[in-house]
Amino acid sequence: MLEQRTIIHVDLDAFFVAVEQARNPELAGKPVIVGGDPDGRGVAATASYEARVFGVRSGMALSTARRLCPQAVFLRGDFTAYREASQRFHEIVRAYSPLVEPGGLDEAYVDVTGCGPIVAPMTGGLESDAPEEIARAAGEHLRRRVRDELSLAASVGIASGKSTAKIASDAAKPDGLLLVPAGREAAFLAPRPLRDLPGLGPKAEAALHRIGVRTLGQVAAMPASRLEALFGAWGPALGERAAGVDSTPVASGRERARSVSREGTYARDIVDVSVLRGSLRGYAESVGAELRRQDLRGRCITLKLRYGDFSTISRSRTLAQPTYADDEIYRTAASLLQDTLAKDGRAVRLLGLGVSNLGDDAVQLGLFGDETQPQDELLHSIDRLREKYGQRALQKGQTFFDPHVSSPDWEPEHQTGLSSQMGLEKPD
Amino acid sequence: MNVSCLQEHLSKGLSIVGRAVAARSTLPVTANVLLTTDDGRLKLAATNLEIALSCWVGAQVEEEGAITVPARLLIDFVNSLPSEKIEMTLAPRSRQLKLTCARNQATMSGVDADDFPPIPSVEDGGSLELDPQELHTAIAQVIISAATDDSRPVLVGVNAQLEGDRLTFAATDGFRLSVRHLTLGSPVPEPVQVIIPARALAELNRLLPEETDPVQMTFNATRTQVLFRLKNVELVAQLIQGTFPDYSQIIPDDHTSKAVVDVAEFLRETRTASIFARDGSGIVRLQFTPGEDVAPGNMTISARAEEIGDNLSELDAAVEGESDKIAFNSKYLQDYLQVLEGGRVSLEMSGPSRQGVLRPVGDDSFVHVLMPMVVQW
Repeated sequence: MLEQRTIIHVDLDAFFVAVEQARNPELAGKPVIVGGDPDGRGVAATASYEARVFGVRSGMALSTARRLCPQAVFLRGDFTAYREASQRFHEIVRAYSPLVEPGGLDEAYVDVTGCGPIVAPMTGGLESDAPEEIARAAGEHLRRRVRDELSLAASVGIASGKSTAKIASDAAKPDGLLLVPAGREAAFLAPRPLRDLPGLGPKAEAALHRIGVRTLGQVAAMPASRLEALFGAWGPALGERAAGVDSTPVASGRERARSVSREGTYARDIVDVSVLRGSLRGYAESVGAELRRQDLRGRCITLKLRYGDFSTISRSRTLAQPTYADDEIYRTAASLLQDTLAKDGRAVRLLGLGVSNLGDDAVQLGLFGDETQPQDELLHSIDRLREKYGQRALQKGQTFFDPHVSSPDWEPEHQTGLSSQMGLEKPD
Repeated sequence: MNVSCLQEHLSKGLSIVGRAVAARSTLPVTANVLLTTDDGRLKLAATNLEIALSCWVGAQVEEEGAITVPARLLIDFVNSLPSEKIEMTLAPRSRQLKLTCARNQATMSGVDADDFPPIPSVEDGGSLELDPQELHTAIAQVIISAATDDSRPVLVGVNAQLEGDRLTFAATDGFRLSVRHLTLGSPVPEPVQVIIPARALAELNRLLPEETDPVQMTFNATRTQVLFRLKNVELVAQLIQGTFPDYSQIIPDDHTSKAVVDVAEFLRETRTASIFARDGSGIVRLQFTPGEDVAPGNMTISARAEEIGDNLSELDAAVEGESDKIAFNSKYLQDYLQVLEGGRVSLEMSGPSRQGVLRPVGDDSFVHVLMPMVVQW
């Protein structure tokens, strides 16, 4: 049997609002909504728990939020401050294990298996060396440090796998810790709704609802063959996760992706450049979201084209500043596409877009204020909404009105990994 | 047309105007070079419609005339000839240019000179004279900061502001700013503000080192074009229309610490560190410690690349104020240090996330502002 792992998922509560409350104590205990001008047409990026009592939720139109909770303090948000808090948070988290995977600005997975010797000196000794006690001590210590040093509340979930740990930290909110003992994962997950499971999106949910499956317990009870028939190769893995079995490794920074790319083969060869551009927009959004999730920026944008005769070319351009912005990735790729098609306008069988030369999160500041800040905020807000409500909860007109990308079957092949350099030939 | 000149003169002239030949253009004739007899000399001209270069070559003109021929063909051919006299003849109403040099003869099919886009004559909008060597240094110091991508068109230009007896060049790509003042021999009658493409100034700078006479800079009345007149060369550039950002407010008035270091040492150590920085985001980290009693202050330059290694070097620095640290893009720092003429440089700072202000010690005509990178220390 595989070694029993102990994974901590730590997640900051109402992150944007909590940062605002930490630096302005007058806001503590008050309903606070970060998102922008309540008279404008924005949506709430985060709402404090005090505002959530009134029914305010992330992703809600600000006008609705104000109707529900007129006494709330509305803030535009200060992304520089959030980023700084996020960096300090991740620095603290890295003290507990060499295996830490950032899951965005305000969450991280920590594999504390065998980390007793690291944790014990920090907590002034451990009561027992049982793996779960080490994890509980690390989790409490981590929560205390985040509170003392950043004045932020962190919720912690502990379990034998990543997905269960994440669900546990959600259940522990606000400001709590929940440990799911080894062997109790299935019982813990069984009564929960389908959407609690990370990676189970709206499409899979709808498919399961159609056959009367509403809880994770029901999914866990389905035979693997049935799940495979419904979801393909991904099905059995879904069943295992629903039963609390998840061996996905915690990917530390050293194993971070060197490139992120998306590609897709068309059902028929495409000559219409507007279709190709539409696909590029979709890919750029997808690649950008993945980069932001891993807090990476890339400098090299690569376009890959395969023509009807299977001849394949790739064209790259290096940017002056690394980026994770959808628009910049799209603009660069579209310009490469235009240059390429100007020389060879044959029908395209496969189109791909990749970002490589990925760097850490060091940011070059700009002279004229942070011009990218509003865009950064927008992108991160979109990411959070999509994570919660699914990819199609929010779409830009550019992709929504593109019949190709907006079709429900549009699903680019994902390539994220160490060796997935663009241009590497792989059979279709 | 019948004109003779020396191979080396023609070759030199073609190498100058060849820089303005359009690489790819929707107007095919701009891939040609225009040859015209002009007042006892041979005038060569080329344009890519953004800039136009004209060069006059000493020649013996027997019969006036003009023709355009493919630039690449003419340049390659002339460069391969021995250094002797070249005779060029064009029969009336013909488009075949015949070239004879030593025992070599060639014919080139040309395009009518009338089809060549007219090179604007620039006048009436004010004119001034500049010392070529001082202009050369000033251009080198500002064009490093101009943007290279066209996403904001005004930033690929250099803002030129004429007021009183002062010409101020400024360029910024949004991450760094160069501001360089030049003092004029006599005041200008009225203030002028234009944006000159940095690419045009870079071309001008290739020609300036050989110049000894003052360079004449002239604008047209509508301030859409600028002409630089050298001894035997003229460069005309289309000016960039738009509003240059107000940069005066981003040069801070105060600072919390200031370090003075030797330019040559600083450049050498930055180059060394950047070998390690090139795998990361090109980040070099600078840390300053003030001296105590008899111990001098110092500055460390460090860089690290994950999974590769790191580098740390130390140099003497006169540090005023508090200990401080700041991280820069190593390329930006090298770009700047390379355009200084030795001596010492001061760096004023107000913490790791505020702009650094660099000035050569003892020279207040050149200010460079560099935004830091936010890094984990």
